[in-house]
Amino acid sequence: MQRARDGFAMLRAQIRLHPRPFAIAVSGASVFALCTIASTAAVEWVIDRVILPRFEEGHVATGTALTGAGFVIGIGVLRAAGVVVRRAWAGRAQQRIAATLSSSVVDRLVRQPSTWHNRRADGDLVARAGVDTDAATAVLAPIPFATSVVLMIFVSGAWLILKDGVMGAAAVAVFPVLIGLNVVYQQRVDQYYTDAQDQLGRLSAGVHESFDGVQLVKAYGAEARETERLSVIASRLRNARVGAVRLRGTFEALLDVIPSMANVGLVVLGAIRVRDGHITVGELSSFVYLFTLLVFPLRLIGYALSEMPHSLAGWARLREVLDEPVEPDPRQAIGTADPGRAVQVNDLTFTFRGEVRPALADVSFDVAAGRVVAIVGPTGSGKTTLVEIVGGLVAPDRGRVRTTAGMRSVVFQEAFLFSGTVRHNVTLGEPYDDDTVWEALRLAEADRFVAETRDALETVVGERGVSFSGGQRQRVALARALVRRPELLLLDDTTSALDPATEASVLGNLRSAFGGTTVLMVASRPSTIALADEVLFLAGGRIVDHGPHTDLMDRQPGYRQLVEAFETERVGASD
Amino acid sequence: MPVTEPIGRFSAVHTINRGLQEAPVLRQGLGVTWALAAVGATGRIVVPILVQQAIDKGIVRDGGVRVGLVVVFAIVAAVALLIAGAAQRQAVVRLGRRSEAALFDLRSRLIAHIHRISLADHNEERRGALVARVTSDIETLAQFFQWGGLAWLLDGPLMILVASVMLAYDWILALVAFAVAAPLAVVLRLVQRHLVVAYDKARERNGEMLSAITEVVTGAETITAYDAGRVLGAEADEAVQRKAAAQIRANVIGAFLFPSGEVFSVLTVAAVVLTGVARGPSSALTAGAMIGFIFLTYRFLEPIAEFTEVLDQTQTAVAGLRRVLGVLDLPIGPPPPEHPRPLPVGSLDIDICDVTFSYPTRGLASSADDAVLRHVNVYIPAGQQVAVVGETGSGKTTLGRLIARFADPTIGEIRLGAVPLRQVSNDDLRQRLVVVSQEPFLFTGTMAENVGFARPGTSIDDMEAVVDRLDLREWVATLPEGMMTEVGERGEQLSAGERQLVALVRAGVADPDVLVLDEATSSVDALTEVRISRALTRLAEGRTTIAIAHRLSTAARADRVLVLDRGVVVEDGPHDALVLGDGIYSRLYEAWMTATTAEQGDLLPG
Repeated sequence: MQRARDGFAMLRAQIRLHPRPFAIAVSGASVFALCTIASTAAVEWVIDRVILPRFEEGHVATGTALTGAGFVIGIGVLRAAGVVVRRAWAGRAQQRIAATLSSSVVDRLVRQPSTWHNRRADGDLVARAGVDTDAATAVLAPIPFATSVVLMIFVSGAWLILKDGVMGAAAVAVFPVLIGLNVVYQQRVDQYYTDAQDQLGRLSAGVHESFDGVQLVKAYGAEARETERLSVIASRLRNARVGAVRLRGTFEALLDVIPSMANVGLVVLGAIRVRDGHITVGELSSFVYLFTLLVFPLRLIGYALSEMPHSLAGWARLREVLDEPVEPDPRQAIGTADPGRAVQVNDLTFTFRGEVRPALADVSFDVAAGRVVAIVGPTGSGKTTLVEIVGGLVAPDRGRVRTTAGMRSVVFQEAFLFSGTVRHNVTLGEPYDDDTVWEALRLAEADRFVAETRDALETVVGERGVSFSGGQRQRVALARALVRRPELLLLDDTTSALDPATEASVLGNLRSAFGGTTVLMVASRPSTIALADEVLFLAGGRIVDHGPHTDLMDRQPGYRQLVEAFETERVGASD
Repeated sequence: MPVTEPIGRFSAVHTINRGLQEAPVLRQGLGVTWALAAVGATGRIVVPILVQQAIDKGIVRDGGVRVGLVVVFAIVAAVALLIAGAAQRQAVVRLGRRSEAALFDLRSRLIAHIHRISLADHNEERRGALVARVTSDIETLAQFFQWGGLAWLLDGPLMILVASVMLAYDWILALVAFAVAAPLAVVLRLVQRHLVVAYDKARERNGEMLSAITEVVTGAETITAYDAGRVLGAEADEAVQRKAAAQIRANVIGAFLFPSGEVFSVLTVAAVVLTGVARGPSSALTAGAMIGFIFLTYRFLEPIAEFTEVLDQTQTAVAGLRRVLGVLDLPIGPPPPEHPRPLPVGSLDIDICDVTFSYPTRGLASSADDAVLRHVNVYIPAGQQVAVVGETGSGKTTLGRLIARFADPTIGEIRLGAVPLRQVSNDDLRQRLVVVSQEPFLFTGTMAENVGFARPGTSIDDMEAVVDRLDLREWVATLPEGMMTEVGERGEQLSAGERQLVALVRAGVADPDVLVLDEATSSVDALTEVRISRALTRLAEGRTTIAIAHRLSTAARADRVLVLDRGVVVEDGPHDALVLGDGIYSRLYEAWMTATTAEQGDLLPG
């Protein structure tokens, strides 16, 4: 019952988005329902007024015959038109509503800050705007049809009973049997279909993983083992499908045989009623005819309702995203630094959700404008988190962050390129002119390889275009940051994908082009540290020291050890 | 792309025949299934015949209604319906069972085959296509068997049956009915053809919409950082609207499909009634037959409508089958030997004899200029540690692949323990030679499961022993659950460096005689770096090792360094000697020293 209420609430909420096409679809469906019943009247009329007079009594007026034919054709065409209207507008309603819902999800996705995104799996979010929306609206298309079937059942039931109480009652009694059978079938077969769908998903994931690791599979001669492992999943899929087909075979046969049996009974009953003079042969035929016409819709109503649980599940997942309030933008909490200062951080503390130990604790530091600062520390010391907080992507739990008032650009460890042109990736839709874009590419040492591609700035990157190497992608991402002429540039180990010489030229370009830019960069190799004016040494979420590299080497054994891990490696090499 | 496009142009018949050959289960008992389906089909004409018989012989008669006779007819009809129903059920279940068995076989064979085709056919752009062969393409066949297959079995007999009954009642009326109904097939084909195009478009637009939304999600960090939500959100929105428009168009075309059958059926009924009434009663044409005709017309048009729909499903299925067969036709990687020779016991030497290799280019004959390796001659004694260095494109990775027999040389041969690789069975080779790749692949599961992949059935104790031997105890202790730590999808719970460590333990468990190491280029943090090089040294001890080196520290530790330049071995000797020379190696070494020095200022321009 609760489910029915939920279902109605969902339908109301969805239909309210685009009520007009839905109303048109329902009108079309009603025309169809009424014409279906009227068409049996037409058949009855033709039999009683045209066929029987001609064949039993020998004559019929041509006009009557033509009227009969016109009657049959007219109602048939009207009925067909009802179907066209119903299907076309039901589809329109469904798609319009789905589009509105998808757009609302997209709107949420772009408005929620990245911290919100970080807590959620990418695939799951895409599913909510895609398959979940499709699932939630899937129930809409059959609804006008289902309405028409309900209408048909009531009107034809009344019609049959009015025509002949005995035959009508007998025929109407079969409706609930068919509907009940349908509902039972849908529920039972659904388990198999859900199971099959799950197994197909599992097989797909397994196959994808196995093919991804094909080199490993080959390297260890595990081809047969892998095939065996995947075959087990494939066999589960097969079993679910065979289960479904067995059920389907039985129920389809029943759904075919029961109405036919009912028709057989109607013929016998009809013969008696004709003998007793209660009904005409035409009426008997129209009973049988109506039954024939109703079988198909009755079979489909179960199908229409079977979408409901899926739609409710999709709808619930959709609402989760839509009902969640947009989180505040962490950037709003960032203040403006004192003149001559680029970054001022006081008593900053941050703990990840669900963790006890803070990722950053009581962090305070101050960076003068125009300095290049390397953030150095072992894995897990909080380097990336610090960059994200200063960059305004993550809000600190406590403490104050102030930065220069001008443009702030962040470049991440893994360069993300949108599928689109190089220009689009640099400008992200802002109206920078060609010269500005090329200048940014030059500063990021990306101008040469971009110029070498066939379409230069219009070269499409990504799935359907050119695939750049990791270093090249990173340089395009860097150009994206530089085109905005940032006063503060935050690099999260961005240059590790570049070779040291390119890395040095990029930073050199930056200094010569806009001298005032302050750079805060996570550094994990000595050559990167070498490019910095000063080093911020982090360990365990705290700032251990802050100063020039050489000073830190002298006074911080932990720092020396970390940097020397590379040196040791090198010394070991030159033995 | 040979994987996505069918190789050669098979006709549909040819494709289906080959499909039947590949899946012989399908043909088993097909005749019986067909016979059952035909019996099942008769169920659909029982009621029209009953109506006709009852009206003619039992109801509209001069002597009044004969209820007894109608009851007899009804009993016969009921029995016929039961038999037909049972037969129909059997036919559905038999076909379902056979087809699922066949598809299961086909899937398994396809997976096995794809694992065996050459690595060159496994590049990333094709990955999705190969997965699609096993999933969605086979699914088109499954869909076909679930709905269309039965229609092929049933609709033919049904139409013949209905047509025969109509002809038996009155052949002139039957011909009139056929003539009026026939254009329906043409109309339906026309609508369907537009519909297929429209749905393809809608699918394409749906894909575009999903990609656009995926971008918004995966690029969330970048979007937030650059405040680009408005621009990219609008782009995604446009994709959403385009998908809706394409879907609506397809829906509108689809809306005409079923109603056109309706229109033709009323036209046919009207034509039959008018013709029958014009001709009047005769020996064969009775009132019952006329009424029977009205019912039969529906039965006759049903399969036409169903069949046109099935025809498309059939085309989709044949296209899917064709793509599947195309993959089965891809040659498998290096061919297995006809008469395998066992590798000698004990440590193995490697002899690379005059090896030249060019990547096969489909359709184009590869010229000697394209050769990735040219006349490489190297002898590696058993137990030697060799590092192969060279710039990107020098052919060093290819050399590693040839030694691991992921491909065979175009010219020349490689001998392992004096046995040519072409004569070694795959199982034998994989037990003795192990490749640890650049970006190690980890399966979803625990670290122990990933390590055990090297040798199924290895006990945890044996794995722990390898961990100790590689001096990784300290590292494993830092993992939340030690060897039982879940590594996540593709090992994403571990850092890049840690994934390499897992791969080293895995190789240690395999305990091979020959180790081919393809080093990672990505930088890892210093501590992990130290652990990796220590574990590598331990792992290489006592094994013939070929390291495709990206870090010169690896080269420096090796017994011998091979320097490759554009496919040719240009330098060969110990590290210390090569460093002193003025060749490529000394230059590479110079550059690398600079990169790993943190002396301030020397690299800063200005």
